[in-house]
Amino acid sequence: MRFDSATADRLTAAAFFALGAAMTWGGYEMDRLEIRQIHPASIPGLVPMILGAALMLCAFLLALSAKRTPREADTGSGSWKDFGFTAIWSCVFALGLVSRIPFVLASGLYIAGFAGWFLIPAATDSRGRLRAVLLVLLFGAVTATAISALFRYGFLVRLP
Amino acid sequence: MDALTSFLAALAALATPMSVFHVAWATLLGIFVGSLPGLTATMGVALLTTLTYTMERDTAILVLICMYVGAIYGGSRSAILLNIPGTPASAATSLDGYPLAQAGKAGYAMALATAGSAMGTLVGIVMLVLLAPPLAEIALDFGSFEFFWLAVFGIVISGQLTGGVTPLKGYIAGLLGLMVAMIGSEGIHAHVRFNLGFDQMNGGIGLIPAMVGAFGFAEVLTVMWRNKPELVEKEATNDRVLPRIADLIRYKFTILRSGVIGTLVGIIPGVGEDIGAWASYAAAKRTSPEKEEFGKGSQEGLTAAETGNSAVVPGSLIPALTLAVPGSAPAAVLIAALFIHGIRPGPMIMVEQPTFIYSIAAMLVFATIAIAIYGLSLTRLFILVLKIPREILMPVVFTLCVIGPYALTQRVFDIWVMVAFGLIGFLLRQMKYPMAPLVLGIILGALLDKSLRRGLTLSDGSLEPFFTRPISAFFVLVIVVSIAMGLPPVRRAIGRLTSRRQGESRS
Repeated sequence: MRFDSATADRLTAAAFFALGAAMTWGGYEMDRLEIRQIHPASIPGLVPMILGAALMLCAFLLALSAKRTPREADTGSGSWKDFGFTAIWSCVFALGLVSRIPFVLASGLYIAGFAGWFLIPAATDSRGRLRAVLLVLLFGAVTATAISALFRYGFLVRLP
Repeated sequence: MDALTSFLAALAALATPMSVFHVAWATLLGIFVGSLPGLTATMGVALLTTLTYTMERDTAILVLICMYVGAIYGGSRSAILLNIPGTPASAATSLDGYPLAQAGKAGYAMALATAGSAMGTLVGIVMLVLLAPPLAEIALDFGSFEFFWLAVFGIVISGQLTGGVTPLKGYIAGLLGLMVAMIGSEGIHAHVRFNLGFDQMNGGIGLIPAMVGAFGFAEVLTVMWRNKPELVEKEATNDRVLPRIADLIRYKFTILRSGVIGTLVGIIPGVGEDIGAWASYAAAKRTSPEKEEFGKGSQEGLTAAETGNSAVVPGSLIPALTLAVPGSAPAAVLIAALFIHGIRPGPMIMVEQPTFIYSIAAMLVFATIAIAIYGLSLTRLFILVLKIPREILMPVVFTLCVIGPYALTQRVFDIWVMVAFGLIGFLLRQMKYPMAPLVLGIILGALLDKSLRRGLTLSDGSLEPFFTRPISAFFVLVIVVSIAMGLPPVRRAIGRLTSRRQGESRS
């Protein structure tokens, strides 16, 4: 399924409709602060209710117009393998490694792992692969140290 | 006369060796960021904001302005050499820039882009100095009713102009941004909304982590997903790298018109540089005696697009400074940066800091001089920059995306926010949802919420003042017309009318 297609639009319209309904319900159910005797027109849930209703309307119109919307010609999708690796490895770094191991080590691992994933298999012979491994390790170490030092000593940030 | 004196005083105050040093490195960094596909001006300004926390106020703003101007200009490099705009602002540039490069005129195309960008920014600076003070004065008359409609107007017009084939996706993006702004403690009764049980969300979603995610991480994912671009290398290094004065004189009206169009587009909330470039390009094509050359390597088309997108930079700062409503996505980050550094943009700016607008104009002049110098002297270096493999660059960018937002509040939660916005931003972009209205929504959400409820409280629940006060009525009219123009039946009717008129004029 293409990202920019009628089916994708209908699916997102359903998700947005549900989000709008949840927002409207959340706004309606929100504390009206009667105990503080605020003006009824200034209740905290007012704008969320309006926004939720507006999103539901837009989602409904999106679903209705999904088939008729003109689309750009399909120029072929990009590389799902590269995208998948980037998304997963980046999430592992940001959500898994950071704050669990020292930042300099986490970022060094991430940068070397990222560059290595693409550059090592691209080398044609075993000597080239060994050189690529050494290069990505050196690149990861130098870059991670430089970024960590910049934030730690330059901007006085306590690194995660 | 006062304006001129203040502007000259600001220029003189900036002319110190330290300022020149900051202008030099920040603009060069901006050009590098803009020239690399995948690194946008918004991402550059957002990441650099995280590096300016410890800087002195004026230095921080100077550095960010130079990054902004440099990145918008830098986008033309990859548009000309790779046929891939370095930033969305340079999409129109690639239409004529790449054919020129293929014809062996890459150097001259970059020279024209440099001249156009510099002159476009200068036109914008003149309009910034002339328009911002009176606009701030008018905005002093704004009450809750007007601010509410201003926020609605911003979202509607931004959604309308950036939504592509259907404004509906632009409106949805704007609504999603407004919804994000509803999270956390609201501004009237300090009641916490939609924190989903996370105490970290009580203060709301930070703009910087959201922007770094939506423009940084999402861009990293997009770059790695796309197929590798190919560089037009052989032809890039062999021709003239200085623009001919005769050409600039020939295109003087195109430059002036594109500069004015770009600045006016910049003033419209949340629209941005890409629309400025396209509008200028379309206007140049309509009036040019060489219409048929457009899209095939027209020097006039290239100049119009580059002048138009660069003029948006000062233009977008006009509402950002005087109304706290950003004219573009990078300007939205600049607003956040201004708050971080203790400056409160909005109608009171000419009262609280009357010379600040002139300081901004002076900073823009310095940045313009820097892009002109770099653009005309470092053409070959920029070609080398484009050869940096994305596999090397992207992990470094993402590491900065992680540590940058964390540095501001030192909360790991902000890293999670960045990741969430990155993944959602990638999906939305692929489904053709524009990012500018989303950002504008996050910025304007609090203003819209507080203004509506405060206005209703003042009018004791009556909606009448929202429609009867003159400025409010004007905004309502513009909003209604904008939405009506986006409706398919109205669009079809306008299309039929236009084609009928064209048919009549032919016969």
